[in-house]
Amino acid sequence: MSEAVGAALPLHTARKPRPGMLVRLMRDRVALAAGIVLLLIILAALLSPWIAPHDPYLTTRRRMLPPVWEARGTWTYVLGTDSLGRCMLSRLLYGTRSTLLVGITATAIGGAIGMFIGFLSAFYSRLDGILMRINDVLLSIPAILLGLALAAVIGSGLYAIIVALVIATIPTVARVTRSAALVVMAQDYMEAGRSIGLPDHTLMWRYLALNCISSVFVYLTLRFAQSILLGAVLSFLGLGAQPPTAELGMMASSGRNELFIAPHIATIPSLAIVVIVLCANVLGDALRDLLDPRLRKL
Amino acid sequence: MTLLPKTKTLALSAIFSAAAALLPAPLLAQAPNSVTIVREVDSDRYDPHRSTARAGTEILFMLGDTLVSLDFDMNTIKPGLATSWTVSPDGKTYTFKLRNDVTFCDGKKMTAADVVYSIKRWIDPATRSPVVWRAGPVDDVVAIDDTTVEYRLKAPYSELLYQLAQSFGIIIDKANVEALGADFGVKGFNGTGPFCWVDWRPRNDMRLKRNAAYKWGPPISENTGPAHVEEVIWRVVPEETTRLAAVMTGQSQITQYIPYSGLAQIRANRNLRVLETKEAFWTYFIGFKIDKAGIDDPLVRRAMVMAVDQESISKDINYGETQPAYSYVSQLARDWDKSYDGKLLKTNVAEANKLLDQAGWVRGADGFRTKNGQKLSPLAYGFAGSTWQKLMESVQGDLRKVGVDMRVQMFDATVAWGKLATQEFDMFGMSFPYVTAGEALNLYFRSQNVPTPNRMNWKNPDTDAALVRASTAIDDATRSSGFAAVIQQVHDAAVWIPLYHEPMKIAQSVRLAPFKAHNIYGSGLYKGLDLKYAR
Repeated sequence: MSEAVGAALPLHTARKPRPGMLVRLMRDRVALAAGIVLLLIILAALLSPWIAPHDPYLTTRRRMLPPVWEARGTWTYVLGTDSLGRCMLSRLLYGTRSTLLVGITATAIGGAIGMFIGFLSAFYSRLDGILMRINDVLLSIPAILLGLALAAVIGSGLYAIIVALVIATIPTVARVTRSAALVVMAQDYMEAGRSIGLPDHTLMWRYLALNCISSVFVYLTLRFAQSILLGAVLSFLGLGAQPPTAELGMMASSGRNELFIAPHIATIPSLAIVVIVLCANVLGDALRDLLDPRLRKL
Repeated sequence: MTLLPKTKTLALSAIFSAAAALLPAPLLAQAPNSVTIVREVDSDRYDPHRSTARAGTEILFMLGDTLVSLDFDMNTIKPGLATSWTVSPDGKTYTFKLRNDVTFCDGKKMTAADVVYSIKRWIDPATRSPVVWRAGPVDDVVAIDDTTVEYRLKAPYSELLYQLAQSFGIIIDKANVEALGADFGVKGFNGTGPFCWVDWRPRNDMRLKRNAAYKWGPPISENTGPAHVEEVIWRVVPEETTRLAAVMTGQSQITQYIPYSGLAQIRANRNLRVLETKEAFWTYFIGFKIDKAGIDDPLVRRAMVMAVDQESISKDINYGETQPAYSYVSQLARDWDKSYDGKLLKTNVAEANKLLDQAGWVRGADGFRTKNGQKLSPLAYGFAGSTWQKLMESVQGDLRKVGVDMRVQMFDATVAWGKLATQEFDMFGMSFPYVTAGEALNLYFRSQNVPTPNRMNWKNPDTDAALVRASTAIDDATRSSGFAAVIQQVHDAAVWIPLYHEPMKIAQSVRLAPFKAHNIYGSGLYKGLDLKYAR
């Protein structure tokens, strides 16, 4: 008996402990680079009032100055100026802040509501039908159309965009959450929890939510990128931020008429959108790979 | 990013080829001696009494004729369908002698009865014409014989001939109106103009063919008829870069809807030229609701006017293609008071700051001014789109420099007109065409026109009295002095921030012979009589 135990112990202790998720994520160099770039962008956006070289709203007659690497460029305006002579770098920093605010707020609020609906739908089969039919209706409304309608009712602005994106996020998150939650609902421990008389809220939070939140979180990182893109599109259409607020989509839109004369006005904010969305997508993919047992590299 | 010349040309060709490829296929096919004109928007209908948009008038001028015409100087009235006219000594009766050789497109002869019908339909409440005021205080319109019409007024109306020269005064065919009913100007239009209606596909294109019998063009055109070109196709291309591409690639021969940023390219292109006028009868401005808190003080409004850099707007935003405006109408307009030229408010930031200090508005730590705890932060409404966005942002930037935090709310045109009829805002952006100063002043500053188009809430009995005096004057001196009084009142009160006057700019292929562009209601091609291929 003692021998048997003694023989088993070395086997158990010899097994290498599984590294944490963050460590595994950091082993993916592409994801690490994306994470660092995104972190730097977020930091720069947060610190924009302190690090922006100029007042982003100050118009000057030094209009359409090219970036510093161009012949007429100057170090005073590293990324040049826009058609109203405002510093492109300062507007880019402030604009990124607005764009991230739209993406994060819409994903957080829409995601929270969507998850709650998804859990309810999976947990209470009686509610499933009605909730998912409402969900189907919401899914059928394109976010851009919704944004247009909201802008007509409550006026254009960042709030209108955020509301439109929250409404557009809810049904997709609810669907994903429900799918993940239905798998968990079929597990024996849920049945066990019910049989020992655990209250619904404990079952829902401790057993259901915590067991599927990671897969929903992966979807939310991808949704964050989509929200940023959609927000930029709505701003590009003039439904978003109102002048003089800087927002990347609006900046790209206002620069399109000068595309040939001063291409930097439209391309710099467009590139910023591309980088943010790309980084968010790469991170989302890496997280999915980590959490999906079939793709996990041990 | 400065591109090398060769790279730039290649890039430009690629962009334009790609944009041209997006154009509708029918644009590529056109009859010989046909002219394709691209423009930004379409009209909802082509009814002279109900279409007030420039998109409507520019086609109506080609489809129909007016009793009188307005010369290119925007001042001299010349004959049209009427060869001559007399005015009674009391200024209340105008007697028009009509041409005897005018026919409609269907071949029917035009007579005085058609003139009577047209004017009566214009002022008939059942027509619901938004421009009924332009016809004046009509008492009656009577056909004395087939070629004589008496236009009787309840009171003299000094603007009458100028209004009759506009598209609203086009003579229409009663039988055609009655036959088409609600579809008049939608499914057809039988006019006496140099071109006849062929086919209209809303928001797509309007096809017109030459009226071969036409020989009664106004004397202001070199050619009085028939038109040189057989066919005119007006095609709607909403995207300005695509319109530029259409002209650059020769798929459209002429357009006045080119962005300012593209005019330099047009001028540099040896296959194209720009026709332009020195007259600029389309004015852009930002108006104040003068009874709103903060901007109800004339000192504050004067300061805000002086803070705005109109020269920079014209030179930098509009690439030097417009004229900085300090007056509410062009200083070349009839009845503009030249003695007021020296009193116009010009850009002066130091003086603007001084006036705001004097009015008791104190700068805070954030750079903005407050008074009694209230921030000087007026809300401005404008039209969404690149033109107004840039204008609003530019003015906003200028006002920040004197401590005014102008907030801006832009609306799509479908919503904007409704919003601009409310009392929700403090300032608003607008542009408008006009023929005379009197017309503009009557439109915007009459008390009865509150809340729209008098969105400033300007209610001044002296102004109303002066407008009546000027409009009913039967001599030039009384008319001019009346309008001069109004010009002084509204400019002194600084109720608008004038931004710029827009001259007519038309881009055309060198294959077309140059011609004189008109400024009437922004319809640069006017009747299209002088449109012709040079080679």
